[in-house]
Amino acid sequence: MSPDADDALRLIRDSAAAIAPRQGDLGRIRALRFTRPGFDRAVWRQMAELGWLGLLVEEARGGSGLGLAEFCALAEELGAGLVPEPLIFAAAIAPILPDAAAVIGGERIVLPAWQEQPNTLAPGAATRFAGGRVSGAKHFIPMADGADAFLVATADGLALVEREAPGVTLDLAMTQDGGHFGTLALRNAPATPVPGRIEPALESITLALAATALGLMDRAFALTLDYLRTRRQFGRAIGSFQALQHRAADLKLQLELTRASVAAAAAAPSPAVISRAKARAAEASLLLTRQAIQLHGGIGYTDEYDVGLFLRKAMVIANLHGSAALHRARFAALAPDMTE
Amino acid sequence: MDAAALDALDDETFRLEVRRFVEAHYPPALRNPPKRLHWAENQVWYRLLAAHGWLAPGWPREYGGMGLSAAKQLIVIEEFERHGCARTNDHGVVMVGPLLIRYGSDAQKQFFLPKILSGEAIWCQGYSEPNAGSDLASLRTEAVIDGDDYVINGQKTWTTLATDANWIFLLVRTDKAAKKQEGISFLLVPMDSPGITVRPIINLELHDEFCEVFFDNVRVPRANLVGEENKGWTMAKALLGFERIFLGSPRQSAYALVRLKLLAERMGLAEDPTFQDRYTRLRLDLEDHKALYETFAAQLRRGEALGADVSMLKIHQSELFQRITEAMLEIAGENAGLLEPMEGNRALHPAGLFIQARPATIYGGSNEIQRNILAGSVLDLPAT
Repeated sequence: MSPDADDALRLIRDSAAAIAPRQGDLGRIRALRFTRPGFDRAVWRQMAELGWLGLLVEEARGGSGLGLAEFCALAEELGAGLVPEPLIFAAAIAPILPDAAAVIGGERIVLPAWQEQPNTLAPGAATRFAGGRVSGAKHFIPMADGADAFLVATADGLALVEREAPGVTLDLAMTQDGGHFGTLALRNAPATPVPGRIEPALESITLALAATALGLMDRAFALTLDYLRTRRQFGRAIGSFQALQHRAADLKLQLELTRASVAAAAAAPSPAVISRAKARAAEASLLLTRQAIQLHGGIGYTDEYDVGLFLRKAMVIANLHGSAALHRARFAALAPDMTE
Repeated sequence: MDAAALDALDDETFRLEVRRFVEAHYPPALRNPPKRLHWAENQVWYRLLAAHGWLAPGWPREYGGMGLSAAKQLIVIEEFERHGCARTNDHGVVMVGPLLIRYGSDAQKQFFLPKILSGEAIWCQGYSEPNAGSDLASLRTEAVIDGDDYVINGQKTWTTLATDANWIFLLVRTDKAAKKQEGISFLLVPMDSPGITVRPIINLELHDEFCEVFFDNVRVPRANLVGEENKGWTMAKALLGFERIFLGSPRQSAYALVRLKLLAERMGLAEDPTFQDRYTRLRLDLEDHKALYETFAAQLRRGEALGADVSMLKIHQSELFQRITEAMLEIAGENAGLLEPMEGNRALHPAGLFIQARPATIYGGSNEIQRNILAGSVLDLPAT
């Protein structure tokens, strides 16, 4: 990677520290859990000022024209901070929205609504768009309650639907991380057509979710190492016990495999390598956060100690945009097996 | 049928008798509770058990128990689990009763045992401390003699359902000079004693099952010492045998496996060959676990004491339970992240069961400690 590109990544990570400092406490995240809309509009505007919503939008349209490497670096930091704002979803579709300025500026929040079945990457096609009206149902929309509008994938192209439009109802189901999934029901809801395809944005989000998982793993692992170094039983730090040292070493390996996989996919993205990264991140993040609880013992099972927050986030994002099994299958279908 | 007649039945007839009892008396609304119930919710079942003489299957009949063999006690547990009966606030029945029957004074037996059977005395357990978890023998809550009293200072943690209890049985340090296992005593303390503070801890299930209990110059009569002073560790260890086979019973894994299958059907994966292979592997693990469990149950049936190798049961059961819930999470799609059951159906709650399975490898002696026991006491490998 060139020095310039390294600088850009460092700048992104530094700017992320304004909202999600690696050493910061998680008080803001705890206060927002299980509330509506579950995130903070003032922080959203701050994110907009930092240029994050326009990160993938070309410069001519008011964005920064950066790529997936920068997007993933940002997602990783937001993951490490367990940030509830649905930034990666909104930023990934910003390049295809007609009124990008308001979105980039943070005044208007538009979230993608594409899914009709669990565990899929294919935008459902049972939703129809005709005569300026959309009908259908969309599921698993993270943090939907904070959206002003939805970019809805239909069998007849993309449609922009206002949250408050007639015929729109939104049901919420709380998620383990304190956020929620929205289910959007559309009955002849007025909508405006949006040219273009949503699939590239879904790929970007999939990879950014892998990067989010990487970030939360990284921080959960740091917390766990810290505990292994300081917690004493039997007259010594528990991290001095070889059985726990070996387990920590194995977790480090999974963490670095995930980091390498995400970086490789961000540097040369294709559906196959994105699947590779997501499959690794989904499995490794659940493994690492489960072990983080175990290595903490009883304190790890309390809600007031932070390590559990990372497990709960991993539970939500591991299967979002496809489970590990789905991505392994897609990788096998797309990537030529050179051993043959 | 009275307890003696029940104990005389052969195991299979007895099992049917238990099943009939549970089906006739268990409150339907309390079946398969998603979280551990508090006393306010489960006392109806506790009192029903007491009224029918079924509360204390393991106690001798002279103390109001059923005097059942260990094997029949296991059958009771299995049938209660099978029906989805809630656990009661059972520390008095499971821990304090057997402790007093074996080590208590006559006065303690006469005072406490009837109160446990009537539900008047509800107990919690004061063992773990913030700095004495896996290394329990390093506990530091101390009790110092002052006239006719002990004065207790310190802190206990992971005290299950302490907010429900009016008594606590405590391991305390009574001799700071002795080797760490040898300066520990057993005390019985009323929870309304001045100087006791209880703070509930919210766990990952977002449930206030555990508590911290603080002791600030709490006075308790010396008559509340169980057995001899400084012999508490030996007594506590004697109580662990039954706990370990209880934690090694296949009930949690069996319960979870049924739910895995229901979830697979709901997700349209029941016929998927990859899922079927994984499911069958878990099913075989469960069947083999039951066989291993049965070899330990048979030892109890023959009246033998269980050895340290019973740790294998706890390790395998808790990890199998976790693997089943991990499979649930992996096949649930986005539902894996939901806070509440899917589609309002309690039987479809992969996230809930996954979280519930996490502490199984931590409580009752963590699996790391159980492996140390296996390596040291069973395999006779050298200590570090």
